[in-house]
Amino acid sequence: MNNNLAPTFKKLFGSYWVLWYKKSNIYSVVDTDFKTILYQYFDCASLDDFKTKIASVSPNLDYYTIAQNLQAYLEQCNAEYSLDKHLESINIDSKCSITKTYSINGKVLQINFSSDTVQKTIHPSIAHLETNYLSSPDVIFDLFLDNDNLCLLKNKALIKTVPKRDYHKIQGKFAMELFCFIYNNKEEDWLGTFHGCTIADGENAILFIGESGKGKSTLSALLTAQDFELVADDVSPMLASDSCIYHNPSAISIKKGAFNLLKPLINDFDLFPEVIFNKAKGIIKYVPCKKPLKDKYPCKAIIMVNYTKNAETKLDLASIKEALETLVPESWLSPNPDHAEYFLDWLSKTPIYKLTYSNTESVTEEISKCFKQLREQ
Amino acid sequence: MKKENLTNNNITRKDAIKKMGKYAALTAVGTFVILNPLKAQTSSPPDPGNNPFQ
Repeated sequence: MNNNLAPTFKKLFGSYWVLWYKKSNIYSVVDTDFKTILYQYFDCASLDDFKTKIASVSPNLDYYTIAQNLQAYLEQCNAEYSLDKHLESINIDSKCSITKTYSINGKVLQINFSSDTVQKTIHPSIAHLETNYLSSPDVIFDLFLDNDNLCLLKNKALIKTVPKRDYHKIQGKFAMELFCFIYNNKEEDWLGTFHGCTIADGENAILFIGESGKGKSTLSALLTAQDFELVADDVSPMLASDSCIYHNPSAISIKKGAFNLLKPLINDFDLFPEVIFNKAKGIIKYVPCKKPLKDKYPCKAIIMVNYTKNAETKLDLASIKEALETLVPESWLSPNPDHAEYFLDWLSKTPIYKLTYSNTESVTEEISKCFKQLREQ
Repeated sequence: MKKENLTNNNITRKDAIKKMGKYAALTAVGTFVILNPLKAQTSSPPDPGNNPFQ
């Protein structure tokens, strides 16, 4: 029944199945009982057939409610995937008065901003890349407010407009444009942009995920102060063709709560300007890191970060369910079926851990051990 | 966003749907979660109710 609603891909991870639905780009994590009954439902030719099957499992089960629930689940998983409204390439007079030029990997990028506040959406995180280069840039962006909307132009063509309160979507779009610009590819070449920090040891990378405030960026700053490389902070892009995470040149954003901890560990910490943009996030310092030796690294582990005051450092294995519940709702994942398959393949080869920490020395030691194990594999 | 796992042993479908939220639902025997990736790239979302442009 309803085989047209079946998931396009299914993969077993321990005691869970991960199902992917092409129509909606939804990932569903289910237990083995659920998966069994779902596929029994697909295998049955009619509701009567399903009734017989369910009765053979247990006469007490209400086959009709089960069928209804499965149908409701499948409909939810097959809701049409709709994208943001397509923007036509139109020319707009942006009235930008602040111009900044940046040099990244030998390429030159110019951004024109309409005000100081607008500038704060992008500039502080890439301020360390600013240059006085005077010849013509390879690409020009304009970022400005038009009534209550933030508009982003690329070479005078509108590529994104969002209500100003959704400025993080402009930041995300700009980050994607930056990756395409640096690595000479297109948005459709990327498998996804994960919400998390990526750290490398010169050979392998580990992706650190966790909700905002769980200590990802602080941990990244700690590790980069101990000779690990920062590949990406906040937005970690993975390319579909090689499933590697690529270097995101943006600086690490450090909240005020971590200043005292990091001050003795990071050179010239006091010299980095304090930025207040979103009052709820408070004062932030953007700390640039040394460019990693390589532009990309294979990501060999996922660690869910949980800073807990006074907790002992602990690194335990975590389930795919815990990891995807954290990772998927906060990440952009390409709806391309090939990419979804690569993503599941990558996940199936990648161990997942959860890290509880408060002590900076022992956490560095624990992560060092983890990198060592990855090198020995 | 809050995610829940539900079982269908003691609650009606209507009650369960109420509890589902966006990412979770119920089945007859077992549990599952439904996870929607973002449809566009973003940086860390701002805290609700705070708008630097106001």
